[in-house]
Amino acid sequence: MFPIIRLVNRNLTISINPAFLLWQIIFPVIYIFIAGFAYSSLIQEVPFGSKGLAYPAFLASGMIGFNIMNSTLVSGIIIWNDRKYGMFEQIMSGPFTRPNYILSNICTIGIIGLVSAALIAVIGYPVFFDSIQFSLVTIPLIVFAAVTGSVLFGSIASIIATKLRSSEGFNVILNTAFLFFAFVSTAFYPASGAPEPLKTAFYLNPLTYLVDVIRAGIFGDITEFVILEMGILTIIATTLFIIATKLLTKLDF
Amino acid sequence: MFCINVDRLSKFYGSIKAVNDITLSVKSGQVFGFLGPNGAGKSTTIKLLTTLIQPSGGSLKILGIDAIKNPLQVRNKIGVVLQQPSYEPTLTVEKSLEKYGMMWDIPKSERKIRTEKLLNEFDLIEIRKKRNEDLSIGQRRRVQVAREFMHDMDLLFLDEPTVGLDPSARRKLLDYLKNKVNTGLTIFFTTHILTEAEYLCDEIAIIDKGKIIAVDTPTALKNRFGKEKTIKIHLLKNLQEIKSLLSGIVDCKIEFNTGTDITIHSTQSELVLMKILRILNENKIDIDDLSAVPTNLEEIFLKMVEENVSNY
Ligand SMILES: Nc1ncnc2c1ncn2[C@@H]1O[C@H](COP(=O)(O)OP(=O)(O)OP(=O)(O)O)[C@@H](O)[C@H]1O
Ligand SMILES: [Mg+2]
Repeated sequence: MFPIIRLVNRNLTISINPAFLLWQIIFPVIYIFIAGFAYSSLIQEVPFGSKGLAYPAFLASGMIGFNIMNSTLVSGIIIWNDRKYGMFEQIMSGPFTRPNYILSNICTIGIIGLVSAALIAVIGYPVFFDSIQFSLVTIPLIVFAAVTGSVLFGSIASIIATKLRSSEGFNVILNTAFLFFAFVSTAFYPASGAPEPLKTAFYLNPLTYLVDVIRAGIFGDITEFVILEMGILTIIATTLFIIATKLLTKLDF
Repeated sequence: MFCINVDRLSKFYGSIKAVNDITLSVKSGQVFGFLGPNGAGKSTTIKLLTTLIQPSGGSLKILGIDAIKNPLQVRNKIGVVLQQPSYEPTLTVEKSLEKYGMMWDIPKSERKIRTEKLLNEFDLIEIRKKRNEDLSIGQRRRVQVAREFMHDMDLLFLDEPTVGLDPSARRKLLDYLKNKVNTGLTIFFTTHILTEAEYLCDEIAIIDKGKIIAVDTPTALKNRFGKEKTIKIHLLKNLQEIKSLLSGIVDCKIEFNTGTDITIHSTQSELVLMKILRILNENKIDIDDLSAVPTNLEEIFLKMVEENVSNY
């Protein structure tokens, strides 16, 4: 078996536990149903391209993006724990290279991101039922989003993990960053209703681009702007990945 | 024949010369002890030899492979137990052995067999279902060492593996290692516990301040200090004038540890002892206890490190 697959196997073993599943799958699903329907009296319809989306469908699709971002926390936590509990050194003195280690982390979050996005899509299916527009490009678009999203946010989490030695600092910074990404984005509410400075801030946030791409996939509305967003996502993800790899390669023992 | 060849190896951290121009060779099938005080450069040497860090200079061959050019090839053939604890906090003891075997690509059926065997050999049966984060420090260390035997290797590096182990666990581990060496394994072992090195090692290097100051067999190191013996005398009463009374004796080094304890190092121990006894007798000083032992490695070690300090 390839070294990367063995590391992914190990990563999944140590990351998947009941608390994580609750946070990753159960919580978003409950949120879609409760918040989705509670707020639909306030937000009747969200304009989306040529049509309008029911708010629960809008929220559920945003939640997939949010979930992909959240699953990358796993990568940060793996790196951080491996350094704290000595496993990074141990692995690096074994039959692995640093690129093996980094790629296995990215694959791990890619898998977790894809699986949880798929689960939410399946469970949330009743709420997007009306507006869904699966086509030939739908699935590739969602896979693209899961992969670039994993690389992008996984790299952010990895960069923070390599920079911090204390667990409090690590948790606070990562959670704050991700909370900020979540709320200053179109994941939970449309940009159209927001006041002007916030609207601009939405588009400084990679999560907005990620969620836009996912929505375009699910609801079948691929515009030029979405293609531009995909390009921007790819560039940011690549840059952050290179930075994260550099930092991880430089980590001393 | 040699499985480690180190030539003029150095590792500098800024102005700190953690490892300073060391040269050594380790024969296959033996236990090589690496001894030195805190901060001597033992762990840094292990990290260099296991390719965890890059040397600042020198060359390095492990199992005949150039370790600077082909580090991965080296790592595939060695086992490493670092000084720092390493574990997966949430996994149980048996699961962490099992997963470690998986990481080394050991087939599943073989992993099961090895896990059971190691749980037995390292007295881990009772704690097999416990999570690593709930173990005591010594238990954790045992798991860490046991885990390394999940995979096959030609050369094993152990950085102070017995730290935190109780005397019985310590002895068991040393015997386990001896057995492994009899089946062909080579071990590079660091410690600052001399008796351990004496018990286990075929050859010993003493390192201090990044420099190797002696390499030899334990016996040869002792012989090098010839017939030197240590005499310890414990007096019944505290006596101030004892120092001046014994000041005339030559050919020895006397330490007055407290008023009642006297330690004498000498290569002419019989002669010196007779002189001392005569003086004590003449002055009617009662002796509570007396012993004469060959100087052990511990003292040789302290002496060498001390001399190394005074050379600076
Ligand atoms: N990453 C590092 N950065 C700077 N200095 C270092 C680093 N690692 C080790 N040193 C220094 O190198 C010297 C040797 O350290 P090393 O850990 O090899 O000692 P040691 O012989 O293993 O000691 P101990 O018995 O305490 O484990 C020390 O002075 C230490 O402070
Ligand atoms: Mg050390």
